[in-house]
Amino acid sequence: MTFYLGYGTNGFANHRLDDALSVIADLGYTGVALTLDHHHLDPFAPDVGRQVKKVAARLDSLGLGVVVETGARFLLDRRRKHHPTMVSDEQHVRVDFLLRALEIAADLGADCVSFWSGIVPAGVDDDEAWQRMKAGVTAVLDGAARHGVPLALEPEPGMLVERLDQALRLREELGSPALLGITLDVGHCVAVEPRDAADCVRRAGDLLLNVQLDDMLPGVHEHLEFGEGSLDLPATLAALEEIGYTGLAAVELPRHSHAAPEVARRALSALRAALPHPWLADAVRSVRSDPTTVRTLFPAVGRKVGRTPVSPDSDPHGVVRGTVDDRARTRLLAALAAVTGPEELAAELTDLYRHGDDAERRGVLRALASVGDEVPEAGVDLVKDALRSNDTRLVAAALGPFAATHLDAHTWRHGVLKCLFLGIPLAAVAGLDRRADAELERMVAAFAEERRAAGRTVPDDALYLLRSQD
Amino acid sequence: MRIFDPHIHMTSRTTDDYEAMHAAGVRAVVEPAFWLGQPRTNVGSFTDYFDSLIGWERFRAAQFGIRHHCALALNPKEANDPRCAPVLDVLPRYLEKDGVVAVGEVGYDSMTPEEDEAFARQLELAIRHELPALVHTPHRDKAAGTARTLDLVRESGLPAERVLVDHLNETTVRAVADSGCWMGFSIYPDTKMDEERMVAILREYGTDRVLVNSAADWGRSDPLKTHKTGLAMLAAGFDEAAVDQVLWRNPLDFYGQSGRLVLDDVTPGETFAGNSVLRGERP
Repeated sequence: MTFYLGYGTNGFANHRLDDALSVIADLGYTGVALTLDHHHLDPFAPDVGRQVKKVAARLDSLGLGVVVETGARFLLDRRRKHHPTMVSDEQHVRVDFLLRALEIAADLGADCVSFWSGIVPAGVDDDEAWQRMKAGVTAVLDGAARHGVPLALEPEPGMLVERLDQALRLREELGSPALLGITLDVGHCVAVEPRDAADCVRRAGDLLLNVQLDDMLPGVHEHLEFGEGSLDLPATLAALEEIGYTGLAAVELPRHSHAAPEVARRALSALRAALPHPWLADAVRSVRSDPTTVRTLFPAVGRKVGRTPVSPDSDPHGVVRGTVDDRARTRLLAALAAVTGPEELAAELTDLYRHGDDAERRGVLRALASVGDEVPEAGVDLVKDALRSNDTRLVAAALGPFAATHLDAHTWRHGVLKCLFLGIPLAAVAGLDRRADAELERMVAAFAEERRAAGRTVPDDALYLLRSQD
Repeated sequence: MRIFDPHIHMTSRTTDDYEAMHAAGVRAVVEPAFWLGQPRTNVGSFTDYFDSLIGWERFRAAQFGIRHHCALALNPKEANDPRCAPVLDVLPRYLEKDGVVAVGEVGYDSMTPEEDEAFARQLELAIRHELPALVHTPHRDKAAGTARTLDLVRESGLPAERVLVDHLNETTVRAVADSGCWMGFSIYPDTKMDEERMVAILREYGTDRVLVNSAADWGRSDPLKTHKTGLAMLAAGFDEAAVDQVLWRNPLDFYGQSGRLVLDDVTPGETFAGNSVLRGERP
């Protein structure tokens, strides 16, 4: 693992800071995202200097790395949550706080200070807010330079800067200051970003200074425990490895303080289960630095990371959801896609498939869901090749999301019909409800008729498809 | 008697052979890449063949309760054909596949500069891919070819214990025994070696580092020669442990250096690409 795992103290709001740090370290985390707050290292306390020294020593003795977070709710204004912000009339209060935070971060030896923009106030238009934000960040960057601590801007749903693209644009408009990087909350990616968290991680790339980990549902800004939302945690952690991220990745569950120790324990076990295999992490790095190494790493995946199905109970042969090695191969090809152009990628995918054994071919086909959009022509050729075979697992792997999007209607329908012939569960066919049409219904009805005429049973999947088309 | 045939070309054999081999105790084989009896004319001909060695043939063997592994290489005969030699550029992809337990057959046929080049490059590949190498000794000018083979192995840097020098006979065994390489003997109906001569060599050289194979292929050959050699050893007074060492443990130790042998009980897969081989009861 290139990065280190931590927990956010805002998820321990009912603990003394000292106690929170102990629990976090005892569980096995090696970092902490420290939200400065009235009861957790109050930056306005008269003896703040002495407290900072104590906390620094405590972090050191517990072996915890640290990032300073500045999202406390009622630290600057006792009535209005998060107020004032970088886009408020009273912006100077926020700037002053961030400058204090930078000084504290320097004394703690923190990686960075993380901050967000703010909700655009009523009566202020977006242009005005954008100019305020730029001026505020410029002011705070002076402090960052003075203390030698970088700033990490976090896109926050509902605020002026709520998506990664906006944060990157702001940075560019400021002249790409070296001390301004990005904080990425991977749950926010699920909630508001047009692409998934792993893609956001890749897009942030070297600018990523701080990561917050939590689950979320699309469109809903509510921090959830892992598994309760739709975050692909393994893919997200793998993307962090892939870009060589070395900073803190801390669990961000600010509304779970009532059960913090137990929630933190569950989070760490979910993270450990989702972390990429060490061999895979090395392999991904190798592909990024020399794309040709994929040729000899790709065949070895099954021996190195295993071949068990992803969902052994519901899908014992991995026909529907694939296998552990399929997932790992997707990671390798995502890394390849990140460092090669479409032509090279198309050629290599084709070679890996043509020279691949059955597992490798399935790996290429399943990876098309992640990388196929860049090489639609080559992808369609490979899918068509697989659909010509009678290998059930290959046919199933071919009819994933890539085929649902890119395959022509005729070929796609025949693929579905082939599944019925070969006894492949139609659960393996992505986008079935969306793409099923009258012609497919006709074909399936004829298939059912033929089976009945021969005195053979009609597969349930065929009956289901016919019913759902009524 | 449990048997691991360390060199047999099952692609050229029938399902009757598989059944007879299983009945005789054969539970594992290594099939080295070889020529077809007629010349290949392009690289694609090799890759189709490699694909069958890592997929279809392994599946076919499993249907009869036999674990199939393979060794892949450009064989010395075809190393002389410029239409075939570029297969060396795609070979690295294949050497990382599951079931590939060695680089082979490499070695000399007519001892040409092209053969030198292909042989040396493939020993390098064995080092890079952490595999043992199966080395074929020439049919003609065998003693000189074997000496030159051992020189090249020494120069390559591949440790002697990762090299099996095959098709040996009374005139070539001494040099290989002294080199530290493993000694392979192909027992044929008429040519190469027979069971009785093999027993005599075992008496003289012992059972360490010695492997016996049938090298059965598309020519006149007998896939049960391993079993028959075991019987000849017993008849000559070797005990069962000695037979087991030659016919099972030595091949296992040699190819086990790849880390890729799979020798648990075979569960026949249902089909390979929709085909079960068995006909009738299944597709």
